[in-house]
Formats: sequence, C-alpha cells, structure tokens
Amino acid sequence: MAIQTAELKPSVPSSPLLGFWNTFSKNRMGVVGLLMLVAIVFLAVFAPIVAPYDPTTSEGLGSSDIYNPPDMKHWLGTDDAGKDVLSSFIYGSRVSLIVGFFAAFISIVLGGIIGIVAGFYGGRIENFLMRFTDTMLVIPDLPLIVVIVALTKPSLLNIIFVIGLLGWTTTARIVRSQTLAVKSRKFVLRARAIGAGNGHIITNHILPLVMPLLVVNAILVISLAILNESTLSFLGLGDPTAISWGQMLNFAFGRGAMSTGAWWALFAPGFGIVWVVLGLTLLGHGLEQVLNPRLESHHLMPGRPVVRSEDVPESATRNSQSTKPVILDVQNISIHYVTADKPPARAVENVSFQLHEGELMGLVGESGCGKTTLMMALMRLLPTAGQIVGGKILFNNQDLTAMSEQEIADVRWNAISIIFQGAMNALNPVRTVGDQIAEAIIKHIPIYYEKPVAERVSELLELVGISAEHKDHFPHQYSGGMRQRAMIAMALACAPQVVIADEPTTALDVMIQAQILELLDELRRKLGLAVIFVTHDLGVVAEMCDSVLVMYGGITAEYADVDTIYNAPRHPYTQELLKAFPDLSKPERRLTSIPGYPPKLDALPDGCRFAPRCPLAFERCSIDMPALHALNGGDHLVSCHLVEPN
Amino acid sequence: MSRYRYLLKKIGWSASTILFVLVLNFFLFRVLPGDPARAGIHDPRLKKDAIEALRVRFGLDKPVINCFETLHPIKVGDCGVNPLDTQFFIYLRNLTQGELGISYHTNRPVSDILVERLWNTILLIGAGQILSIIVGITLGVLAAWKARTSIDYGVLLTGLLAWSLPTFWLGIILLFWGSNNGFPIGGKATPGLSSYPFLQQAGDIARHMILPTLTYTIVYMGEYLLVMRSSLMDVLAEDYILTAKAKGLNSFQILKDHALKNAMLPIVTIIAINLGFTVAGVIQIETVFSWPGLGGAIFEAVGRRDFPILQGAFLMIAVSVVIANLIADLTYSYLDPRVQVQ
Repeated sequence: MAIQTAELKPSVPSSPLLGFWNTFSKNRMGVVGLLMLVAIVFLAVFAPIVAPYDPTTSEGLGSSDIYNPPDMKHWLGTDDAGKDVLSSFIYGSRVSLIVGFFAAFISIVLGGIIGIVAGFYGGRIENFLMRFTDTMLVIPDLPLIVVIVALTKPSLLNIIFVIGLLGWTTTARIVRSQTLAVKSRKFVLRARAIGAGNGHIITNHILPLVMPLLVVNAILVISLAILNESTLSFLGLGDPTAISWGQMLNFAFGRGAMSTGAWWALFAPGFGIVWVVLGLTLLGHGLEQVLNPRLESHHLMPGRPVVRSEDVPESATRNSQSTKPVILDVQNISIHYVTADKPPARAVENVSFQLHEGELMGLVGESGCGKTTLMMALMRLLPTAGQIVGGKILFNNQDLTAMSEQEIADVRWNAISIIFQGAMNALNPVRTVGDQIAEAIIKHIPIYYEKPVAERVSELLELVGISAEHKDHFPHQYSGGMRQRAMIAMALACAPQVVIADEPTTALDVMIQAQILELLDELRRKLGLAVIFVTHDLGVVAEMCDSVLVMYGGITAEYADVDTIYNAPRHPYTQELLKAFPDLSKPERRLTSIPGYPPKLDALPDGCRFAPRCPLAFERCSIDMPALHALNGGDHLVSCHLVEPN
Repeated sequence: MSRYRYLLKKIGWSASTILFVLVLNFFLFRVLPGDPARAGIHDPRLKKDAIEALRVRFGLDKPVINCFETLHPIKVGDCGVNPLDTQFFIYLRNLTQGELGISYHTNRPVSDILVERLWNTILLIGAGQILSIIVGITLGVLAAWKARTSIDYGVLLTGLLAWSLPTFWLGIILLFWGSNNGFPIGGKATPGLSSYPFLQQAGDIARHMILPTLTYTIVYMGEYLLVMRSSLMDVLAEDYILTAKAKGLNSFQILKDHALKNAMLPIVTIIAINLGFTVAGVIQIETVFSWPGLGGAIFEAVGRRDFPILQGAFLMIAVSVVIANLIADLTYSYLDPRVQVQ
C-alpha cells in the first residue's frame, strides 16, 4: 500500500556538501543551535580579551566585595571570594568545551572501533563485544565516574579520561548496527569480490556511510560529557586549579549564596551549561532531521480540505452497456500533492468512471500512475499532502467529497471497504486477527451482543477458508496467504457494497496468488459485490474483470469493457502493456517491456504524457495534450491523437 | 523461542552482569590509589603494630586473590594459598551475608546505613518516575497527534530544553525559589515530628518531597516526551493505522486501540535504559535537597573519603539497576506477543 511519495522527496543536489548546507540552512532549530555554539566557542577562545577581570588572581579583593549584586563595575556581580562572576563565567566555558570535546573524542573513537569491529567481523568477536557493551550500558555511569575520580587525583586530564572511557557504549551500538546494514550492500560485496582487503573496505566503503550517524551521535556524547563534567565539579570532584561552571556552582551553593540571596552567583554558571547543551541538542536535532529525513507525517494528521477549481473542462464519460444501476460514479476527479516549496504534483487529473452493481473493474497501470492515490481518494484516505482539487465522487448519489469527517467515517468500511496490499503491515501486530475483524463490526453496528459478533467473525473466517479456531491468533502466527485471506474477511465484515482490492496479491507467491484471486472472484459473485481491482498485471484482469480502466501519468489512457481492451486496444500504452505480459493463446509472441519510466508527477511533459516512451509518437504528441475521445458510441474511451475522428 | 527460554536467557544475562559488577567493584577499589586504609599501611609515620592493626582491621593481611599478594604484576605471592582465605573470597562471602564493610566515618556497618537510605531513594525515584512518565507520555502523545502544528513545536522545544537542563542546577533554582516561598529548605522531614500522628508525618514528608520530585519530573519527562513523540509518529505512519482509519474509527479510537500500546514498547526499553541515568539525577537531587538517600550518601562519602560507603552504594545502585532492567525486559515480553517467537 505504498502511497506514492517518491515524487515528494528532495532532488539530489550537485555537490553533496553544498547540498547538505542548503538543506541544513533551512532547518531553523539546527541553525539556532549552531549559532549558540559559535557564540560560546568565540567567548572561550577570546576569553582573555573579552573578560573584564582576570579570575585567577584575587589581589585587591576585600571582604566588602563578597556577593555584591550586579552593578556597572561587575555586570554579573561578585562571588564568595569577591571575584567578578562574569569573568569566571567566560573562563569557565573553556573547561566545559575542552572536557566535552576531548572526552567525547575518546568515546567516539573507542565506540566507533568497537562498533565497526563487531559489525564487520561478526561471529564470536561481535558476540563478546556486544555482551560487554550491553553490560557497560546497564551499569550506571555517573556513580562509576564518581567512584573512579574519587579514587584518583581529580585533575582535568583524569576527568577527561574517565568520562571518555565510560561514554562509548551508545556509539558502539549505533555504529555496529549501521555497519551491519552497510556490510551487505552491493558495492561492499563487489569490492570484496574483486579482492579488496578488510582495511580498505572499512576505510573506503563503510566509514563514509557510518560517518553521518557518528556525527549526530558525537554531538549527543559531547553534551553528556559536558553535563557529567559539571556534575562532577558540582559534587566537589572537579580539578581545583581550573575554573569551571560546575565548580562555580559548587562554591556558590556550598558557601552561602543561597542564604545571602546571591542569585547571580547561582544563575550565571548554570545558564552557561544550559546554553551549551541546548545549543548542542538543537544542532543534533537539526542534523538528524537533515541526514535522516523522515516525512514527519502520519495517518492521523488532518487531510487537506476539498477545493474545486472551476476551470477544469468536463471530459468525456463512458457510456457503458451495463443495465445494472450505477453505485459509484466518479466524475472528473483531480488530486494534487501539495508541498510547501514546490509546485503541486498532479497525481490524478480529470478521471471519471462508473461502477455498476456487481461489476468488477480492473484499474491498470505501472507504479506511480496514480492508481492508489485515486483509490485512497474514494475513501477520503489521502495522506496530508494529498488534496482533491476538483470533481465529485457520487456514491448512491451522495457526494463523498462534500462529506464531513464524521459522515465519511460512517461510509468507510460500512459501504466501501478496502483490501490493502501487504497484509502483514495492514494488520496490527499486537492484536488478534479476530479482534481486529470484530472491531469493524462493532464500530458500524450500533447495538451488538458479544456472542453474535464472535459468531460473525468465525463465519467470516470460514468464508475465506480460515478455520475459526485461528481467530484468537496474532497476525505473525499466520502465513502470508492466510493474512491476505483474513484481510479479505475483514473487508467483508460489514457487508459493503464496494470493495477496493489494492494489489492484494503483490507480496504472495504464484500459487497463493491464484488461490486468493479465485476466492475474491467467487466471493463477489456469491455476495454481489462491486469490486475495483487495482493491479499492474493485465493477465489477472483478463480472467475476472468486466471493465478495465488503464491509467497513465495520472490520467485515463483507455477505458472500455474487458474484451475491447484485450482484443482491440487503441492506446499505444495499452498495446505496449499487453505485450509485456504472456498470452497463452499466442505462445510464439515475444514479451517486450516498455523502455523508460512513467513521468514524474511534478514535471509532466507538455503534450501527451506517454509521448516520450510512445513508439508511435509524432510531432503533435509532444505539443498537444490529447483529449479523451469516445469510440463505439461512447463505450470505449481513448486519450490519443491517433484515434481522433477527422 | 518459547517464552520460558526467553525468560531464562534474560535472567541468566542479568546474573552474569551482576557478577561482572561484583568483580569490577572489588578490583576498582584495589587497583586505583586513594583509599586511606590502603594508603595508611604505607604511611611511614605510623608505627609497625599500628599498620598491622590496620591491615587486620580491613582484612588487608590476606592475599587479594589466590596467587597474587597484590595486583602488582611483579609481586606475585606464594601460590597455593587457600582460595577461601583471600580478600576476594572474603568479600564475596561477606556479600552473601549482606555485609558491606564498616564505614570509616561512623564506624557503623555500611549495609545498615545504606538500607535505610535505599528506601528514601526508592521513594523519591518512584514518585519522580511515575510523574515524569505520565507527564512525558501525555505531552509526547499530544505532540505526535498534533504533528507539525504550533502545539507540536512548543512541546518539542520544551522537551529539548528539559533534556538540556543540568539536574543539580534546576534543583538549586527550584530550591532558591522554594525557600523564599515557604517550602522546606531540604531534608526528608521536619525535626521533632516523630511523636506526631502518622498522617501528619506523612504530610510533612510529602511537603519535603515536592521540590525534589518536581526537579526529577522536569528533567526526565523531556526524554520520555521525545521518545514517545517519535515512537508514536512512527506507529501512526504504519499501514495498520490506515487500516483502522479505513474501518471508520475516529482519531481517539485509533490512538487508544491501535497506536498507544505499540508506541509504548520503546518507552519500556527507555525506562529500563534510563534507570542508569536516573541514578545520576538522583545523586544530584539528593545532594541539592539534602535528601537522605543513596545519592546523598555517595556525595557525603566523597567529601569524607569514606570508601566503604562509596563501594557499598555503588554496588547497591548497580545491582538495583540490573534487576530493574530485568523487570523491564519481562514486562516487554508480556506486552509484545511477538517476543515469544523471535
């Protein structure tokens, strides 16, 4: 059920570093964090110039200077020894940064080596190293650091080493899992196949790919080291010869700043720690977002409101020969994916179709042609970026696009249900299958009793060929075929009129595929369902469908009954698609695939969307977009210049 | 793998970790310089019999382990010493009897001092953990649900800021504010209340707990919030959430019935891993608020160079964290049905 998001991803920039900066500079949190750090590094480097006093000497200080509040002479007041707090604050930044940087350096190198060795060599080495890492991860590090520093001399060097030698565990774990992921990639296997040594593979192939994660982790490790150093100093275990923020707090807290109300001596040093750590945190957060971009969208975010632009021309509608009543009438529907910084991707444009009672319609096209988008729109399940920008979806003469969220919730599953592809992910792993089916029934049938619901669940499972005793099992206890059957049972739970089957057999092996398709066909005849069958396999469609809608690049390429599509296709795309699938009646024919890919939806060609790949394209095809022409008295729709009536 | 074997494996792992902690704890205090008892026996100013008395008093007359007089690689002692008569074995034997040595400072048994303090720490951690989990998870759920709105942004920044606060400093600020606003300035109880009725005493302790617990909650809710937010964001992007939405369930039902349990799974792991950090926070909070717990004991022991207390407290904390981790693992296996078959 991959909703086509490929077109939403950022395009690849020319230089990786420049491209990285371009993306990063748009990340507000990351940039703010970086600026905060630049400021503090500046302060630390130029401390002797910036600081108004030298905090290492206490000459000329009298008892009247102790804990003086801020004034023009001392902007941040004076401390317990009468020294200028601002100057100590500025010099204190040096210790924090030095300890943070060097301790983190030790941790990162150590953790990086352990992680790469464990991930790369595997086996007993990995087993031993990871056991050791897990053990060290469990042991609380601050008490251990306190114990070790208390047992040794509390010098800056000792503190750096102790914090560094105990801070590598998270790095080792992250690097190991990344190494494992990279190790089996093709180019590493290839390098190994042509005889590259382990050292070469690690430095040239694995390290560059582990690096981005390592950088983000390094920022976290630095901030933890800074926090640990300040805590140690606050507890009185700091280097007595170096002024640090933690130590300033130790002195202020232990020497009466609380009782004298000298808030300046308590606030300033802590503010410095928060400034640095927050800067690092924001920078790390920003980097993470840039290096590991997630769409940051989910299914509960509100959808975009339906808008209707007036200038959409009405396209031809098919005049089907079916005598049965129409249940679902989709008229000129258009769907865009809207992103903040790019023109909208026109995923579906002006598509119309009618679904009659008991009809099985095939919806065919390559991936990225708008099929799933169209189906999601029918149930108003488009992702947040998706927006219906025109058209109507009439279900029993009610317009689904005009319904409120609450009204559409009653239609979902009750009237229109959907069988998703890849049922493993479509079922909740921590709830039993029976429970998930029952939930749908309970939701839509207001008054229920436990027993009838349980019976109905058993009945549904039996209907799709699953023994009712499996209803209390979890999805992972089912086989792939059983999960897909369970998904079908779930789709039938509320006796809907329309079932959408979105590539329901993609992830299954051929035998199971055939069984599932047979089951679907049998059920729709037995229950009189109207089914929309989304697939890219024209062979499947031939056996079961009544009508076929072929989509290409978001528009209707061809729409007709199944015989016409198979025996007299008029659109070159349909013709090419047919050539790509085996036909048992013409065994001598060679299978050919269509070169190239469907167009990107945010960069559609000017003329016919299929023109760049079309073997029959002529001059006009790349200039004019062909209209949807009605043939055979309106029963056969084709959007191609070649069928234009003269 | 059956659930039974999974449990056995986890218990075995915890046992071996505890063994590692025991060994580490023993050797740390013998390899590193700084213990006054050990330093004392090398002090040239002491008389010979005084040194001998010190050695016997702290069990230093016995070999460290079987073949080694000291851990010095060159000074290998007589081999064939009875292994039961070594410092390491005596240390282990004492541990099984709950003996952790004698405090240098008070001359009381370390285990007596620490056990009463352990309960105070558990009280503080318990209250803080529960509050920070509740607040963190609630805010995390809110942020994920309202993703990419100003609510989400505000919650996210709050979380990052809370994460960045040094615990002891936040404690100092709250104490500074609280002491001017009628809160107790530290400790666990007001002196002289011990003859008062139970309810009044409990109320007094609760009043003393407000600021330390608040500090704890603010610092640790940040991480729970961030983890819950990203975990729930991931879960809400899963296909089965779309299925639930397609079934016609509303946002509240989806959150309650399909998302929260799944999103909680990483939280259980984080709570376990966090216990190590939690201890770090508790040391700071107890120091600032003079709370008579294990963390406070560590702080005092550092100041007085009271190493038996330090050793005992470290051991107690490390073993508690390992056991708490085991409990979290077992909870995880109970929450996630997939664990049984992995």
